[in-house]
Amino acid sequence: MQQNNKQMTESESLALISAMINKAKCEYEDTGLSTLLWGAVITICSLVHFTGLLLKINSIGNIWLLTYVAVVAQVFISVRERRRKRFTRHEDSAIGGIWISFGVAMFMFSYYTSIFNVPSVNTIFLIAYGIPTFATGYTRRFKPMLWGGLACWAFAIASMYTPTPYILLYSGASAQLAWFIPGLILRRRYLNAKKGNV
Amino acid sequence: MQKKEMFKELDPILHSQLRLAVMSLLLSVKEAEFTFIKEKTNATAGNLSVQVQKLREAGYIEVVKEFKDNYPNTTCCITAVGIKAFEEYVKALQEYLKVGQPK
Repeated sequence: MQQNNKQMTESESLALISAMINKAKCEYEDTGLSTLLWGAVITICSLVHFTGLLLKINSIGNIWLLTYVAVVAQVFISVRERRRKRFTRHEDSAIGGIWISFGVAMFMFSYYTSIFNVPSVNTIFLIAYGIPTFATGYTRRFKPMLWGGLACWAFAIASMYTPTPYILLYSGASAQLAWFIPGLILRRRYLNAKKGNV
Repeated sequence: MQKKEMFKELDPILHSQLRLAVMSLLLSVKEAEFTFIKEKTNATAGNLSVQVQKLREAGYIEVVKEFKDNYPNTTCCITAVGIKAFEEYVKALQEYLKVGQPK
């Protein structure tokens, strides 16, 4: 790129445009940490709650308080990533808005379901999990999250015909498919890209 | 001769390797830091700085200088004028390619 005054042919110009656009597209700045965090936390909460229900331990539902610890960790991760971010994509603010809306909605759902006796609480949660996951996968053209979002909705339908404790297994599976596995893929891409830049 | 005349119509601001690379990169993102552009274009800081200034003077990009974690940080983003100029440049290139193709 040092010969910036070099006269380019029309094909060279088009090739350069295409190469630079691809360079920006292939840049992975998503560390995958947030996705991994939520995938792990929701899986752990679901499986522990499921085991507790089978063993008839009443207080086991409190395991979901772990999500509040995850919120604190999420804030820490977001602040750190924002500081390190060297470019912003066009869709970043839209996706950020979707996830913030999801977080607020989940908090409100949790509060609402703790006050009123809502049947099939987990079905509602599974439907909600699918919305930001699918939207992110669709917007970023990231298939693992797209399929993860669809899996959440498929599990939501299945949960309508499944007895309560077993629905928690669907929640765990959804968290794995929607967040943990895509998170692993994102993390791997990020670390590979980082290795390539060193 | 015909080809040469067609090239004369190309925007001289964009028809430079580094400036075109910067514009193509900025077109793909909302905004980017100077260090990111430098890394992706493999340009030297001095050279890139000069070319960024030329693009800014042409009104094709906006340059914001601020402090990030107590260090000076330069961020660039493409303007509406820049997008229009880029589109016209690509259109002109395509026209040129059409002329160059055997009938």
